[in-house]
Amino acid sequence: MAPVLSVQNLTVSMKGDNSLVPVLENLSFDVAQGKTMALVGESGCGKSMTALAIMRLLPENFIIISGSITLDGEDVLAAAPAKLRGLRGNKMSMIFQEPMTALNPLYTVGDQIGEVLRQHRKLSRRDATEQAVNFLKAVQIPAAERRVHAYPHQLSGGMRQRVMIAMALACRPKLLIADEPTTALDVTVQAQIFDLLSQLQDETETAIVLITHDLGAVAELADDVAVLYAGRCIEQGASREIISHARHPYTRGLMACVPHLQLGPVASNTHGELAEIPGMVPPLGARGSDCAFLPRCAFAGEVCRSHPQPPLDRVDASAAVSCWRHQEIAP
Amino acid sequence: MAAIETSSANTAREASVLPLRPAVSPAAAALRQFCRSPSGVVGAVVLLVLILTTIFGPHFYSIDPLDIAGAPFTPPGEDAWLGTDYLGRDILAGLIYGGRATLTVGGVAAVITIMIGVTIGALAGFFGGAVDTALTKVTEFFQILPPLLFAMVLVTLFGQTLTTITIAIGVVSWTTAARLTRAEFLRLRNLDFVKASRAAGAGNGHLIWRVVLPNALPPIIVSATLAIGVAILFEGGLSFLGLGDPNTMSWGLMIGQNRNYVLDGWWTVTFPGAAIFVAVLAISLIGDGINDAINPRLRKRG
Repeated sequence: MAPVLSVQNLTVSMKGDNSLVPVLENLSFDVAQGKTMALVGESGCGKSMTALAIMRLLPENFIIISGSITLDGEDVLAAAPAKLRGLRGNKMSMIFQEPMTALNPLYTVGDQIGEVLRQHRKLSRRDATEQAVNFLKAVQIPAAERRVHAYPHQLSGGMRQRVMIAMALACRPKLLIADEPTTALDVTVQAQIFDLLSQLQDETETAIVLITHDLGAVAELADDVAVLYAGRCIEQGASREIISHARHPYTRGLMACVPHLQLGPVASNTHGELAEIPGMVPPLGARGSDCAFLPRCAFAGEVCRSHPQPPLDRVDASAAVSCWRHQEIAP
Repeated sequence: MAAIETSSANTAREASVLPLRPAVSPAAAALRQFCRSPSGVVGAVVLLVLILTTIFGPHFYSIDPLDIAGAPFTPPGEDAWLGTDYLGRDILAGLIYGGRATLTVGGVAAVITIMIGVTIGALAGFFGGAVDTALTKVTEFFQILPPLLFAMVLVTLFGQTLTTITIAIGVVSWTTAARLTRAEFLRLRNLDFVKASRAAGAGNGHLIWRVVLPNALPPIIVSATLAIGVAILFEGGLSFLGLGDPNTMSWGLMIGQNRNYVLDGWWTVTFPGAAIFVAVLAISLIGDGINDAINPRLRKRG
């Protein structure tokens, strides 16, 4: 079956003074119906830019240089503005990071959910509000009949994010992009939101692109993972495979940064300290053709310094990695 | 795997436990707040009295303001409550009938001001780039023309009628509203809920008028209220300079026509002057009250 979303060789650049600065390079991935693709990486790696490129909502000075994005057989990059508005919110929708600011403070949540239905499904105001109640129930908001008339400021962060999810799923989109949907939320609420997402996904068969820092969520929710570093995909594959057997030093570094809870006295040798990856993501414009992770890599060798970054190398059926030394690092 | 993430939203969950209060629309909340502002209420009452007087006054006081009702310069007294002007026209009748024209000019001119200003400011602020540059240049062009002089030219060119005067006032005074609206739009257009609306498929028209503009309204409403006062003063100024509509009695016209006789009959200009003063003051007080009601940063904690 054809994938719901297919991104091929996507390259996005930022228009600088007389020059183009690459932001995303040659990114390719597919998401099938009912599957979840996670995009992982530090801030500034191009995760959100990927999401905005798919929605065709990139800021003015960012342009798509090459590549193709196909949603449910439709060429997103060739779509005219009117066509795009028909796709957004209808076939593809997006949940934002900050539920506190992503809802319009002047309209009730029912109005805001209903607005999407009125626009794409041409429902009357009354029918739309009625549907909004159903969607609030679907995202497990208690007292939905009353909450539908509530203003965003009357709801908690978790509830607002549920409202955002209800809005995003109102038209049963083929694709849902969740841009760090839980970063701004309480830990227990985070788990609830992820549960809700996976439950709704089971019901609606929506394909999800999940952008996150949370590797725990990746392990639980995602079928596939793409690890981005400085705008390049450096490791990609089935999430089970990547989590259990990361090959790229950066992915390994990220995994090491996940804190683990331990009961009992802290063993003196483990010290209880969190790992970190030294250094920072190279800023835009300071990325050469060699491996972008090179300055921070503990495994960097001669081969890394003398060659440009290798293309994604398919190492087995379910994983690909872009590293010269992956066989030595993770045989 | 137990992944721990720190989060600052610890209070968020507690809020959901609170009992749900009935939803109050932002407009209703602002109105309630307005009713608590003493200056706003006083202003509203005074303005209401003025408006009712100009609407119903003629039924109770049937002297035509343009008729000669007595000897010129009759002082206030039994023959004419507020005296007569240099032609012997009744001042009180002038105040009652003239208020209609003055307040209408003020209101309509303010509407024109806000319509032009908000449209230009909204388009400039929302689209940015070349559109913004072009519209800002147009705004600046109108801004450097001295408004009173510009209005005088317009009225001289197109005739001294109330309609021309109203439009002229609107055309020369929209720049403040445009700059204000543009600034609000620049602030709002990149907020998350605007992006979220766009991501839900909203077009530019919907985003401008239904998403961004309602959020930009508070300062615009205040500026619209004050624009009424400014327009009334403007009409007074034009009439004072002899550019009022001679066929329609207005407060400004009364002052303008009697200005040479201040020393012969102080009442001829003092009463219409006082009427303008009171009306503009009432409108400013209302503007103040609205500002208190919708600007939470200025709101006093009760």
